[in-house]
Amino acid sequence: MTSVVEISPLTRVEGHGTVKIYLDGPRVEKVELCLTESPRLFEALLIGKGFAEVPEIVCRICSLCSTVHKVTALLAVEDALGVRVSESTRLTRELILNGGLIQSHALHLYCLMLPDLFEVRGVSDLAQKAPELLKAGLAVKRVGNLIQETVGGRLIHPVNIRLGGLGRRIGRDELLLLKDELQAIMPACRDTVPLFSTPFSFPPLPAPAYLALASSDPVSTGDAFLWGDGSFPVHAYRERIEEVYLPHTRAKQAQLEGNFPTVGPLSRLNLGAVTGTEASPLFEGLRPELTGSDIRGGNLARAVELIQAVERSLSVIEELLAPGRDASREADAPVRGTALPGSDLRVGTAACEAPRGSLIHSYAFDEAGRCKGADVITPTSLNQGAISRDLLVLARAMEGAERPQLIAALERLVRCYDPCISCSVHLVTL
Amino acid sequence: MKKPRLAIAGLTACSGCQLTLLNCEEELPLILEKFDVAYFPMGESTHDSLATYDVALVEGAVSTPGDLSTLFKLRSTSKLLVAYGTCAMHGGVAAMNNLQAAGRQELLREVYGAPGLELETFPPAPFKNVISVDFAVTGCPPEKGELIELLGALLVGTLPPPRSYPVCLECRSRENLCLLLEKNELCLGPVIQGGCNARCPATGIACEGCRGPVAEANVAQELELLLERGFSKEEIRRRMSRFTVEWDYDQRR
Repeated sequence: MTSVVEISPLTRVEGHGTVKIYLDGPRVEKVELCLTESPRLFEALLIGKGFAEVPEIVCRICSLCSTVHKVTALLAVEDALGVRVSESTRLTRELILNGGLIQSHALHLYCLMLPDLFEVRGVSDLAQKAPELLKAGLAVKRVGNLIQETVGGRLIHPVNIRLGGLGRRIGRDELLLLKDELQAIMPACRDTVPLFSTPFSFPPLPAPAYLALASSDPVSTGDAFLWGDGSFPVHAYRERIEEVYLPHTRAKQAQLEGNFPTVGPLSRLNLGAVTGTEASPLFEGLRPELTGSDIRGGNLARAVELIQAVERSLSVIEELLAPGRDASREADAPVRGTALPGSDLRVGTAACEAPRGSLIHSYAFDEAGRCKGADVITPTSLNQGAISRDLLVLARAMEGAERPQLIAALERLVRCYDPCISCSVHLVTL
Repeated sequence: MKKPRLAIAGLTACSGCQLTLLNCEEELPLILEKFDVAYFPMGESTHDSLATYDVALVEGAVSTPGDLSTLFKLRSTSKLLVAYGTCAMHGGVAAMNNLQAAGRQELLREVYGAPGLELETFPPAPFKNVISVDFAVTGCPPEKGELIELLGALLVGTLPPPRSYPVCLECRSRENLCLLLEKNELCLGPVIQGGCNARCPATGIACEGCRGPVAEANVAQELELLLERGFSKEEIRRRMSRFTVEWDYDQRR
């Protein structure tokens, strides 16, 4: 006899999704991950908009990732226009990206994931069962947000980072305040690591096929992706990443050479160099847990990245405060006008490492400066195939388990990927 | 006193309004103590499907049958329903370019190809088109302060007073350079609801209109002012419809 177990909605994730488990008696036939977010059709909405409008609109794809969407869109538009920004602007963007990562990782670990470790239903119960721990996590999150608000002028959908430069330079006092706040959360970040060092006791999952940007600098463009034993340039992403439309889900599923990629913290730690005087030895010590792991290691990887991001933010602030840095000599050339001389379409592409993994934006503009094509590939759409694959493996390994146990385990597995479903469904112009 | 039962949900949106609640890091423990957060899929894993609520905070525009059924259900099970954020109040960014149903079909084809036409979806609409709304908090994203103000008022059994003044009011009191008059930029401050303390103009960025129209906005005058300054009608309308599609361009107060 066939039956369907449905997890609807998936909870403690960003956005709307469901999982359907098709059973034949106790046997698991198939598992479908359905990203059911309502389509918002961003790529099509951008057609006809001026190049300066694109980053302002496209950051609305997702609130949690709005900073990295905005920076990636700015880099892609600047790539199309041939605009270069000053070192101060580049550093300021790096600072806000790290702030975004701190806020996102702290939210995921402390508000969405921690309830699973305490076996409670969510943040409300957590506030009763582990109030001090929740407060410590929220304090870390607050500093990530303070960076985003100070640098971006607004917490979600930042405005101060703009095409070709900044609306307003960040003052010395503001940077010093951020420095103090960052130093103050370091102990709480250190305490996060042991909390997440024991992975969920699932049966083993398939080994991930890692994909991440080659650069250890999160705000860079024109770099390469690391994939398997090789690499490919960001500009060639369309030739390497295939996307398949599946009728049950509103995000297309990405594949590379027939494999489902895994992007995110675990991929970055496995493929990239870990920097930072604390994060680097910490990673070395945890190497066995992190490099031989399946996606359950993702939470520990996120905790390591939290420390790395605090250290990076502090070193960026030091660079911005360096006595030799004369902001007036580093003025950005304002991007004026709306037209783009020349008859060819100008195409620009950029990729960043978002908290959840690699994010790609690509745009084409005509001579009037109007957007003729837009393409956004998000971390969650890259991860979608791997999540589905792992869900099936886990559901089969748990055949015969009680329904609540099965549902709880599958939801936890999905959370290990930290999916951002708002992002994922805005994929690709054909 | 019994804790007010709260439902927090999202329709077609970016989850930014719900995230704004979680971004109240310092107040969140107190909020969780004073309210019974009974329905909040983004932050809680189980809920009682037969429950009723004192207040529902709902973000997003309405663009699918699923959105409609969530909204109807929350309307019928909640004493107060709050349109939470610009999408819920005015349609928001997703409502751009798809005023006609045929336009929506084109957009779907563009993003998903032919299979996209089978998706059950319609042009994103604000709540007021389909249900009655008891209160609204505007913004993309909403200001944390306005959310806290609402929650505080709910605890004492009332609602905050309505605001009706443009972005310019706070912008002038902050003594910002006027981007519209002094820098010739396409700033929408005069016709947009204030309450954001003119965040964007304070960093040198023209108001993009994320908080929707202020009541009694002199829209026709703004249009004339911008036309005089050399912006084309097409560009002005394109910028004004980024968050709000249904402007009355002839409105003069």
